[in-house]
Amino acid sequence: MTTFIARRLALLPFVAVGVTVLIFSLLQFLTPAMRASLYIHDPKQLNALPDIIRKYDLDRPVYIQYWGWLRQVLHGDLGWSETAREPVADAIRGYFPATLELGMYSFACILALGIWLGTAAAVNKDRALDHLSRFTSISGASLPTFVWALLLLMVFYGHFGWFPPGRLSLDADLYVRGGQFHAYTGLMTIDALLNGQWWIFWDAVRHLVLPVATLTYYLTAVLVRITRSSMLETLRTDYVRTAEAKGLSHHVVIDKHARRNAMIPVITLGSLLFVGLLSGVVITETVFNLPGIGRWGVGASQQLDIPAVTGFALVFAGLLVLANLCADVLYAVVDPRIRLR
Amino acid sequence: MKQRVLAGLLLVLLVTLGPGTGARGAVEPVKNPDTFVTLRFGDPESLDPAYAYDTASQEVIWPAVYETLIAYSGSMTSRYVPELASQVPSLANGLISKDGLTYTFPIRSGVKFHDGSTMTPEDVRYSMLRFMLQDRDGGPSWLLLTPLLGKDSTRDSKGKFQVTYQDAAKAVTVDGNNVVFHLNHPYGAFLSIMAAWSLVMPKAWAAAHGDWDGSAGTWQKYNNPKLQDRYAFDHMNGTGPFKLQQWDRQAKQVILVRNDAYWRSPAKLARVVIRTVPEFATRRLQLQRGDADFIEVNRTEQSQVQGMAGVEIRDDLPTLVLQALHFNFKIDATGNPDVGSGKLDGNGIPPDFFSDLHVRKGFAYAFDYATFIRDGYRGKAVQPNGPIIQGLLGYDPTLPKYTFDRAKATTEFKEAWGGKLWDTGFKFTLTYNTGNTVRQVGAQIMKDSIEALNPKFKVDIRNLQWSSFLQATNQHKGTLYALGWAVDYPDPDDFAQPFLASTGDYPKRNSFKDPNADRLVQEGAVTADPAKRAAIYRQLTKIAYDQVPSLYVAQPSAFVVMRSWVRGWYYNAVLSPGSLDYYALYKQ
Repeated sequence: MTTFIARRLALLPFVAVGVTVLIFSLLQFLTPAMRASLYIHDPKQLNALPDIIRKYDLDRPVYIQYWGWLRQVLHGDLGWSETAREPVADAIRGYFPATLELGMYSFACILALGIWLGTAAAVNKDRALDHLSRFTSISGASLPTFVWALLLLMVFYGHFGWFPPGRLSLDADLYVRGGQFHAYTGLMTIDALLNGQWWIFWDAVRHLVLPVATLTYYLTAVLVRITRSSMLETLRTDYVRTAEAKGLSHHVVIDKHARRNAMIPVITLGSLLFVGLLSGVVITETVFNLPGIGRWGVGASQQLDIPAVTGFALVFAGLLVLANLCADVLYAVVDPRIRLR
Repeated sequence: MKQRVLAGLLLVLLVTLGPGTGARGAVEPVKNPDTFVTLRFGDPESLDPAYAYDTASQEVIWPAVYETLIAYSGSMTSRYVPELASQVPSLANGLISKDGLTYTFPIRSGVKFHDGSTMTPEDVRYSMLRFMLQDRDGGPSWLLLTPLLGKDSTRDSKGKFQVTYQDAAKAVTVDGNNVVFHLNHPYGAFLSIMAAWSLVMPKAWAAAHGDWDGSAGTWQKYNNPKLQDRYAFDHMNGTGPFKLQQWDRQAKQVILVRNDAYWRSPAKLARVVIRTVPEFATRRLQLQRGDADFIEVNRTEQSQVQGMAGVEIRDDLPTLVLQALHFNFKIDATGNPDVGSGKLDGNGIPPDFFSDLHVRKGFAYAFDYATFIRDGYRGKAVQPNGPIIQGLLGYDPTLPKYTFDRAKATTEFKEAWGGKLWDTGFKFTLTYNTGNTVRQVGAQIMKDSIEALNPKFKVDIRNLQWSSFLQATNQHKGTLYALGWAVDYPDPDDFAQPFLASTGDYPKRNSFKDPNADRLVQEGAVTADPAKRAAIYRQLTKIAYDQVPSLYVAQPSAFVVMRSWVRGWYYNAVLSPGSLDYYALYKQ
C-alpha cells in the first residue's frame, strides 16, 4: 500500500506542472497589460503597468515568463484581485473557509445518505424503498437548487424561525468579531469548539442546516443512482451468491462483501462531488448569504478579474489533483487488486 | 426499528436546534433592541468622505460617523440647524456678508473625534481643502470647488492643474474660532451644500497615516487618487454618534458602535449593522423574522412585503432622484467583454459607437418609457424631459421628451454610421448593478425593443456588484448602462453639472463634451437671479434632448420598508431613502 501511495505521490508534481502549463498557456491569449495584473499585490502598483511588464519579462519568450510566474506562485503570490480589492491569496484565504465548511458537512451527509439509500434501494429492488429512493433522486435532481433552497428557507426560517441564513446570528457574529474569539481555521464550527464556545458552535450548526440540506438533497440523487446500479451489478455476481450459500447473514453479505466492491464508481463520483462542492456552490451561497468562494469567483469572472480567476483555477486544479489522489488510494483500499496491477 | 431511531434522533435535533422560535402569530418582542440591522443589495465603495460619491458609501459616512458644520432640520431641506458649527450663518446674524460672498461658521468647541483628539477650526479648514484638492475623477469635489473657486475640477480637460493651493487656501480661512468661506460668486445653495458635504476629519490623524499633511507643496501628489490609496478608504475618524468598528469587505458588512463620548447625548442604539444581502427573498425573510429592521426593496418587489405582520411601509415619498441610461461615447475596449468584437461587424461595437447621434436617438425612440414606469415602478414615477427634474428650479413640463416610437427609431438607426448600421447590425452588453430589479426591468425592455427592430441588433444584459459596477463605469468600461442620480443638495446645479458639464460625473465617465452645455452650466451656477437661472436650465434641458447623452427614463417616488418597532425615522429628500439618520433611530 505504501509503495502504491508513494508511486501516486511521485506523479503529483508532474500533474501539477501540467496543470500550471495549461493555465499559463491560456493566459497567453491575454495582452501583456492584462497579464501584468497577475504580478500586482498592492493597488499602488496599478499605476506602474509598463514597469511591471518589463520587470517580469512579459514581452519576452513564453518559457521565461512561465518560470517567473511559477516562482511567484510558489511564493504564494497570486496577484491582485480588483473585485475583492485585496491580494488573490488573501481573498481565497478569506472566502474559502465558508465554502469549505459548507462543502465538508454537505459531503458527509451526501455520502452517508447516498450510499445508504442507494444500497437499500438495490437490496429492496422494486419494493417501496426502491421507489422512494427513485422518487427522491428524480425530484432532487429535477428541482432547481434555488427553488429548493428558497422553499427550505421560507418554511424553516420564515415560518418556524429555526434555521436562519448567514453564518452566525447577530449576537454570535458580534462576539466573534469582538476580539475575544480566535479564528484558528475560519470554520465557525471548529473554531467555536477550539474556543470552547458551545453556544457559537450550535449557532453555526443552525446556520448550516439549510444550506447543507439543500446541497444534500440536490446532490445525493446522483450518488443514490450510481450506488444502486453498482450494487445491483455486484449483487448479481457469483461471489455474493457463494457468500449467501455459505450461510452468511444477509447483513454481513451486503455490508462486508457486496457494498465494498460496489464502491469504485461511488469513490470516483464522490471525489468529483467533493471538488465541485469546494469550488463554490454559487446559488446556495447566494440564497443563504454565505460569503463563500463561489460568489466571489462568479463576480470575479463577470468582471474579467484575471488574477482572481487564475488563482481560483489554480487552487481548484490543485484540489482536483488531490481528490484524484485520494480516490486512487481509496480504490486500492476497497479493491486490493488495483494495488497489484 | 432503525427508521424509528433515526426519526427520533431527527426530532431531538430539531427541538434542540430551534427552541422556542416557532410561535407564529404571537406578539413578538423587539429583537436585538439596541442593535439596528439594515440590509441592502449594494456595498460601499469607499469610506473616505472626500472620495465616496454613492448612496451605499454615504449611508456609512454621513451622518452616522462624519458630521457637517450645519445639518438639515429633520425632514426639511430648506431649514438648517447648527452641528459642528455653533450657529447657522444668515444675513440676519451677520455671518453671511451682504454681498453673499462670505460665510462665517463659528466652530463648536469641545467636540472630540473618535480617536479622542479635539476638533479645531484648522481641522475643519483642512477637511474642506482636502475635499476640494483630492478631487478624484467622478468624485464629489466639484460640490465645493464650484462655489468656492468657480471651477468644477482641479484639472482641465487635458488633465493639467488649473487651480493652485493658494486659490483653495484663500477660499477657506481660519479667523480665531471661525472658519470663513470666501465664495467665488454669490451662490444661494451654498448652505445646502454645507449641510451635507462639509464633512470633518482630523488633520493630524490623516497626515499621520500617510494622507496629505495640508502643506502647499504636496497637494498635487494626493490629487486624483486610486480607490484604495488613502488610509481613510477603510478607516474612519469622525465626530459623529457612531464609530466604525469593522468593515468586513468579504462578508460585506459594516458594524458601527455607539460613540459614548459624543458631543451631544449618546445615541439610543448601541450598534448599527449594515449588511449586503443581494438576494431579495433572504432580505425579506430576515425582515419577517425581525432579524433585520430595515431592508432595501425595489418597487417591483413591493407586493411581497405588503401585509407582512410587524412590518411598516412608508410610501409615496417625493424624491429628487433620476433614473437614467447612459451612453459611453468612448468605451475603453481593453479586455472589455461588453463590446464583443470591438468592431462594427455585427458581433460587437466599436469604442465610439455611441458617439453617433443617430444611434443615441435610435435608442431614445426605441425605449418604451410607459412600460418601464408601469412594470418597474408600478406606475409610481414620471418620465422626465431631461436632467432638471420636477421640484427643481427650471423644470419645464412643456419641453419635449422622447416617446416610444418604433418608426422613428428605425429611421434613426437606418441613418446611423453612414447608413451602414442597419445592414451590419451590432452586439453589446448593457450593464446594471446586482439586485436592482427596477434597472433589470429597464434593461430587459431596452433589449426587447431593440432586438424587435432588427434581427441583427443584439443586446445582452449583465449585472455587476455595486462597487465593481461603479469602478467599471468610472474606468470607461461601460457601454450603455443603467445608473441613477440622487440629489446632493436641492438645486438644479446638482443635476445639470453631473449630467451635462464635461467635468461632471457622467460626462467624465462617458467622455461627453458640449461647449454650450459647459458654458450654460457655469452660468447657471454663478447666476443669482432665479428667473435667469430658470431660463438657463430650460436651455440645458433642450441640449439634453438634442444631444441625448443619456436617456432620462424615470423620476420615481420612493417607499421604505422597516419593522414597525422602529422609532425616530423621518424622511428627508436629501438624506433618504439612501441613508438613515441612525442617531435619531431606536427600537420600541
